[in-house]
Amino acid sequence: MSVLIIIFLTALVALFAGVFQQGKFSRYISILGLMVAFYVSFLSEAAFFSQYQNMYEFGANAALFTKITIVVTILLFFIAGFAFSNHRSHQSELYALMLFSLCGGIILFGYQNLVTLFLGIEILSIPLYVLAGSNKTDLRSNEASIKYFLMGAFATGFLLFGVALIYGSTGSFDLYTIHAFAVKNPKDLMLILGAVLMLVALAFKVSLAPFHMWSPDVYQGSPSLITAFMMSVVKISAFFAFFKLMTIGFLGITSEWINVIGVLIIITLFLANVMGLAQSNAKRMLAYSSVSHVGYLSLIFYGMNSLSSYNLAFYLFAYSLATVGVMMCLIWVEKLKRETSYNAFKGLAHTEPILAVTATVSLLSMAGIPLTAGFMGKFAIFAQAIDTTPFLVLVAVLGSALSIAYYLRLIMAMFFPAESSFKTSEKVSLTYNIVAVFVVVALVAMGVFPDLFAKQFGL
Amino acid sequence: MSYLLLTLLLLPLVGSALVFAWKNPASKFLALGIAFAQMFLTFYMLSSFDFKPTVDGVLQYEINYPWSNYIKSNLHFGIDGMSMLMVLLTNILTPIIILSSFNEKPGYRNSFYGLILLMQFGLLGLFTSLDGLLFYIFWEITLIPIWLIAGIWGQENKKIQFTTRFFVFTFVGSLFMLIGLIYLYTHSASFALTDLYNADLTSGAQTVIFWFIFFAFAVKLPIFPFHTWQADTYTYSPTQGSMLLSGIMLKMAVYGMLRYLLPITPEPIFGLSGKIVLVLAIIGVVHGALIAIVQNDSKRIIAYSSLSHVGLITAGIIASAMVTMNGTVVTTGGEGALVQSFAHGINVVGLFYCADILYKRFKTRDIRQMGGLAKIAPRFAVFFLIILLGSIALPLTNGFVGEFILIKSIFEYSKIAAVIAGLTMIFSAVYLFRFYGKAMFGEGDEAVLASATDVNAVEFTVLASLVVFVILLGIFPQPIIEMVSSSLKFIYTSMLN
Repeated sequence: MSVLIIIFLTALVALFAGVFQQGKFSRYISILGLMVAFYVSFLSEAAFFSQYQNMYEFGANAALFTKITIVVTILLFFIAGFAFSNHRSHQSELYALMLFSLCGGIILFGYQNLVTLFLGIEILSIPLYVLAGSNKTDLRSNEASIKYFLMGAFATGFLLFGVALIYGSTGSFDLYTIHAFAVKNPKDLMLILGAVLMLVALAFKVSLAPFHMWSPDVYQGSPSLITAFMMSVVKISAFFAFFKLMTIGFLGITSEWINVIGVLIIITLFLANVMGLAQSNAKRMLAYSSVSHVGYLSLIFYGMNSLSSYNLAFYLFAYSLATVGVMMCLIWVEKLKRETSYNAFKGLAHTEPILAVTATVSLLSMAGIPLTAGFMGKFAIFAQAIDTTPFLVLVAVLGSALSIAYYLRLIMAMFFPAESSFKTSEKVSLTYNIVAVFVVVALVAMGVFPDLFAKQFGL
Repeated sequence: MSYLLLTLLLLPLVGSALVFAWKNPASKFLALGIAFAQMFLTFYMLSSFDFKPTVDGVLQYEINYPWSNYIKSNLHFGIDGMSMLMVLLTNILTPIIILSSFNEKPGYRNSFYGLILLMQFGLLGLFTSLDGLLFYIFWEITLIPIWLIAGIWGQENKKIQFTTRFFVFTFVGSLFMLIGLIYLYTHSASFALTDLYNADLTSGAQTVIFWFIFFAFAVKLPIFPFHTWQADTYTYSPTQGSMLLSGIMLKMAVYGMLRYLLPITPEPIFGLSGKIVLVLAIIGVVHGALIAIVQNDSKRIIAYSSLSHVGLITAGIIASAMVTMNGTVVTTGGEGALVQSFAHGINVVGLFYCADILYKRFKTRDIRQMGGLAKIAPRFAVFFLIILLGSIALPLTNGFVGEFILIKSIFEYSKIAAVIAGLTMIFSAVYLFRFYGKAMFGEGDEAVLASATDVNAVEFTVLASLVVFVILLGIFPQPIIEMVSSSLKFIYTSMLN
């Protein structure tokens, strides 16, 4: 919980820096605060916080997921200096809101109670509604914000209704009480109904099809860095909350909801990958790719074992790093070209080889090519699921096969033209290059030495 | 822990990093130097290689290093006779391929050579790895550099289309192989090759695994009807890309079939699945040859001839496997396949280079617009003819030995199949002599011929070194057969257990 407090205080300081006309320091304050929080997340929790353990517990899983979200957020803040360079006046709010959202995520990693879950989801989402619309003069950004807010509010309704039904049947908000009740009464209709409603709400938050309709529009309309934040940190948080709820709270009634997820996976993988193929805009393609990754991830519910949450963390971290890698390239192109169609990327490899290679490695990692982290993530999840559900694994493989085609289009646009379409002398800054190199090294290192991840995050 | 093998594996990787970093036209010499160093290192390893080990299939130059706690897979590399032959092929052809590009004007960038060395790293890793997951990883790694080579330096107006098709086809194939390997892994103790061999599998599970893994090989070889990516890719890639693809890369599948499919899934090979594969392979032999006869594009002729040749290789492997499953271990098919793989690698690289030389003289790949070059370029005519004869499988050339053993092995299984597959010898003479006649003889265009020259120094070196191998292996094939026989005996014997 100390991590949560540190990040919250950092957010406040960053926000007030803006109030006192010192908004340009917000980024440094935020990065510093996040680094302190990252360090603290390795320490054991102070005994004082144990009195909250019925609501929130910073256990081993919470620590692991907190660490990966903090790392991704730090990377995003490093490139934010360039990404937000046209937001001259309101920078501090952006950093503060992102940190608040991260707080919501960290609450979700350690929730023990449905009330905390609800609070976490709202704290995660509400700053995002604002952030999605932070490009005030852009119509698409406004559209994204309104759309996300309306749909999000609707999903919250489902969530609350589900919580109410569960409370009605079990008489408690506590996750472990619900767990015990579900194990004892696996046929309780009200509980099952509540579980399915909560599943719908969380499927909305992680954008499992057919509850994904908001995500392409929101991801495309939001400022690119916010999109990257939503694809990485928000997805990690929401998915882990989903995972924890289903596999702890509703473990006893697994047979009731597992097939629902199976159907959602098939729809997601098919729809997202086919729609991804049809796109001509790289940012929208990445939005669909992000939806499809939730489909692969959801295979984690099959053939669960003691390593599942580790595999989940690995996959999510690999995916988030890859997202940072592609999005930083996309942000650069968007700044120069004012658009993000495939054509805008033409010949990037000639002018900015480092960015092009970073984006390529990231895309290959998303596609699951060996020696990248994405392969190891996919491998672990497929290996876990194959005995229980070979059919879904086959569907996932066919999905991957489709997905490679649209990832390739972007790589081809960057590498294959004989000359660059970028007529500018502007060069990428040093920070940007450092982040790019870090992403490539991390992706390859995790692909070559998968155990490195476990060692670095103190497992 | 063998440092020799470790050096052999890491040298191309380090070399490719150096070549990528050194943005200078001279970096191609660095790449060539590394490739030559690799070749001599291989020769050195060959000199201390035990050709007749006391235990069949024993591994030499072994490296075994634990990798991951979460995946039961080791960094396990080693060389037996079969691997040695493939390593030899890779390391002989790579310097030749690099050298063959020195004629290009304007020359290729440093990244071209970096990618070739990266490709070499992937190939060597694949041929020496002894672990299912490593095999898959290297299988995929080789795809990225060759795809980039084909895409960046391929024919401008076609490249988006053909590279996408090539990549998606092979990627789908390898994904199926991944599923097959994961399924196999869940039924065995670990990814180690010996554990995979001892996996406890029902006949049904074996059939599933066979088809999933075979699909990847069928695309890579390619086997009819998965060959639709091949002709375009070979035709529109730069010459060096075509050489890498057909000369070395498709041997990955030959090697994979022998190393993985035969020992792990003997039952489906003996059953219906094996028969289906045999029929498809023989259809490929005839189909490829018939298409090659009517082609006018020089690179397309070579592409389809390649389809025809690999069909024969596959048929030989499967035929001997089926004979073996009847109770007596027969390794002729495997021997023929490996000898022919080596020979085909040399010949096809030579043919692609000859096509490239013709293209440089005539500025077209259409053989109807060529002609009369033999008068102007007698040395080229001789080299071209020898490589061509090797490909046709004339006795005393390398191609003859392989095809003869292969047809013998198919004959042992089925006489009719052998007769049909044997047509390849006749057909290949038809289409290759047609190619040669149109390109080298006849009147030709006076204006073009006036400016045409005989081979220059680079072309001479490349062609001469290839021709040496064509003749040498045609007269002395025995060392190669000896090299592989022990490991093949091990593989075909383990089918029975």
